[in-house]
Amino acid sequence: MIIHLNFLPKPGETAAGEVLAALIALIDQGRLDPEMLPHLRLHLDWIQYKANFREPVTVRHATDARGERMALAELAVDLRRASRDRLIDELSGALASVGAAERDPGRRVVVEDWVPLGESSIWQFNRLFWQRLADWERQSGRGFEAALPSGRSDANDPAAVADAVADFWTLLVELDKRGQLPAEIFALEIGVGSGTRAGLWLDRFKTIDEARATGFYPRLRFLLADYSLPTLDRAMSAVEAHREVVSMIATDALNPLRALSFLRYKILYVHLTNVYDNLPVDELVRRDGQLYLVETRAYLPAPVARAVASAHGVGPSELRPTIARLLETGPDLFGDRERGVAFWRAVWEGLCLEERLRRLEGTADVPLPPGLHGDDLDELLATAPADIRFHISRGAVESFVNTVPLLHPRGYLQVQDIFVATMDEYRQGFRGPGKLDGSVVNWVNGALLRAVGARTGYDVHFAPFRYRAGSRTSILYTTLRE
Amino acid sequence: MATQYLPTAVVGSYSMPAWLERAKNDFLRRRITAHDLDEMHDAAVKAAIKDQEVAGLDVVSDGELRRDNMIDYFATRLPGVEIDRGSKASYYDFYDSVVRNRMPMAPLGLVEHFRFLRTFTDRRTKVSVTGPHSLVKRIRNQHYPTEEAFAVEIARIMNLELRELVRAGAEQIQIDEPYYSGFPEDLPWGVRAINALVDGVDARLSLHVCYGNRYGKPSWEGSYRYLFPAILEARVHQITLEFARRGSEDLRLFKEFDAPFTLGLGVVDVKTHDIETPALVAERIREALAILPVDRLSVNPDCGLLHLPREVAFPKLGAMVEGAQLVRRELQG
Repeated sequence: MIIHLNFLPKPGETAAGEVLAALIALIDQGRLDPEMLPHLRLHLDWIQYKANFREPVTVRHATDARGERMALAELAVDLRRASRDRLIDELSGALASVGAAERDPGRRVVVEDWVPLGESSIWQFNRLFWQRLADWERQSGRGFEAALPSGRSDANDPAAVADAVADFWTLLVELDKRGQLPAEIFALEIGVGSGTRAGLWLDRFKTIDEARATGFYPRLRFLLADYSLPTLDRAMSAVEAHREVVSMIATDALNPLRALSFLRYKILYVHLTNVYDNLPVDELVRRDGQLYLVETRAYLPAPVARAVASAHGVGPSELRPTIARLLETGPDLFGDRERGVAFWRAVWEGLCLEERLRRLEGTADVPLPPGLHGDDLDELLATAPADIRFHISRGAVESFVNTVPLLHPRGYLQVQDIFVATMDEYRQGFRGPGKLDGSVVNWVNGALLRAVGARTGYDVHFAPFRYRAGSRTSILYTTLRE
Repeated sequence: MATQYLPTAVVGSYSMPAWLERAKNDFLRRRITAHDLDEMHDAAVKAAIKDQEVAGLDVVSDGELRRDNMIDYFATRLPGVEIDRGSKASYYDFYDSVVRNRMPMAPLGLVEHFRFLRTFTDRRTKVSVTGPHSLVKRIRNQHYPTEEAFAVEIARIMNLELRELVRAGAEQIQIDEPYYSGFPEDLPWGVRAINALVDGVDARLSLHVCYGNRYGKPSWEGSYRYLFPAILEARVHQITLEFARRGSEDLRLFKEFDAPFTLGLGVVDVKTHDIETPALVAERIREALAILPVDRLSVNPDCGLLHLPREVAFPKLGAMVEGAQLVRRELQG
């Protein structure tokens, strides 16, 4: 057995020793399959997201390409939530639960088949949340930003916005000096949230422009882009004072080029905050030199499923098709929106992901997002820790490669988000996915974006967000790769 | 009307196969030998020549597939340039290169690669070289008093190589100067460097100026107006410019300044995977014919095809050839 302590415990915070003692007790009692032990890895985590998709103790097995069980198994314990009193029973139950949905349908209600994480239904829930944000917020009684760790978005930090405006204004002055400033100055914000940041940015830009009499503001064409029209409408009201220079456009963050191809090579500044962490990811695992793709299937633990079914008048056997209908039609599925939203919220709160590791023959078998080449992955793996679990941030990569062609030759991209800047950082800390209100949150593989950036002609850098103490946010920015 | 009108050619580079990119990186990391890479280069160049012939081009190149990029191929050959071999992570990166002393005269070895091209095609051929202005923007100068002096020195050395190419049978030589567009204020001395480069070179000479194609995207934007009137001093036969991506508005500059050159007309956008139709190519040629007579037009893509996958580059060339044929037929009546 190999033990992975995946975080830096603070004194008195970890019960790692108790987990080990419990496991040894299971061995002594003959309750742990001796055949499993040599291939068992024990992962001790402290999961930062209070709401996530894991039960406190879980097991994941490796399978071959056909889904046949292999010897490798991982036992994952969230020390933040694992109950010391029930540790032995939970460990024993988890080890016995492998494949339990088939052997003991009573333990959980599976709501989808095995799929790579990037194709999980959690992403449909995520999309539903942003499409029907107002319905969710009305019933929860709070805005989505209240769910953030600091209770507000770093996107709206006035000092950060002021610095961002100053950087942009400096670029404009330099271009203007060389006679290379276009007549129309295009700026784009993708994922507009409440519109607060855009409003702050525009206020600041106008103030600087007027104070320095540069005449840039009237030439500004500021585009608000989001896939949710209700969100765009709300954001537009936040920038009412700048209506003459602002337009909104329905745009999928995964492919801004599709809607904005007429602005190819014309946009001088593109900004995103907390968008990449909310786009689909796959996860890869390397153990003993062998590569595995993480496959998941969403389920509701049996007690949760019973409670949801009872509270919302859905027969237990109807849970899976009813959830599928929710994801297809939204919270109006019962013809009673309030009931639908309540059902949605209850299902989401209880939703867990069962995991298994599907063996891949090599990197050629990895489902790569557009823009990521197998060579890049090979190079990353060559410098990564031998045992590693990491994100293929497929949504972020896809968004990146479909955004940079919009940039003017001297333009740049700025992304505020939670990034893992190097592969080595995957050694420590849980990196998602977690739940943030009704949405999914994930750390973003910055090392991957750096490789993709290099191939598309941009150096990708990460700067810590220095405007709020304790912030985990970084700022990705691009510079031209000559 | 014979096919001497509206001759078709690539600007220089052809689609770089992904496997060759991997091999170049493997060579950089010492995973394969120079001999193995040379063999792969030979195979790739032969395939590029064949593709150009099958597409129906009148003038073919070696696809520039032996080159890491437009700078290093020359920087590593120019005598007196010190190269930091550990300074790039990918083959396509630029080496950190510097000149600290006066550069001696020495051959660059381009003739060998030209002879290889000549061996595998009976079509007319074209050799492209990076111009001195672009080279001095990437090779650090720690010896010459000015950029112009550095550029003229490079031109003097490369001039001998161009003469050797002509002796070996080169008929068409193109000089690439994309950095003009980023540094328009340099144009007067940039043109003087070109004239030093082509002095006594008895070939059909073309000067290619674009807005950059590094990583398949433009490096600058603007209008070709900055070229005029300084460019009129260049002692070349043809100017090769991009119009497909940027539109034809700057064509009128040829008329406005009564430019004496023939025009290499960019009719294929190399920065998009959308494949032009022959009709669109023909329309672009007709727009140019409103400005210049047919005997002063050649037809080519906007720039090199390096960054396009073969399944895009090849049909683009086919559409270009077919579009030129459409116009030729119209002119024949």
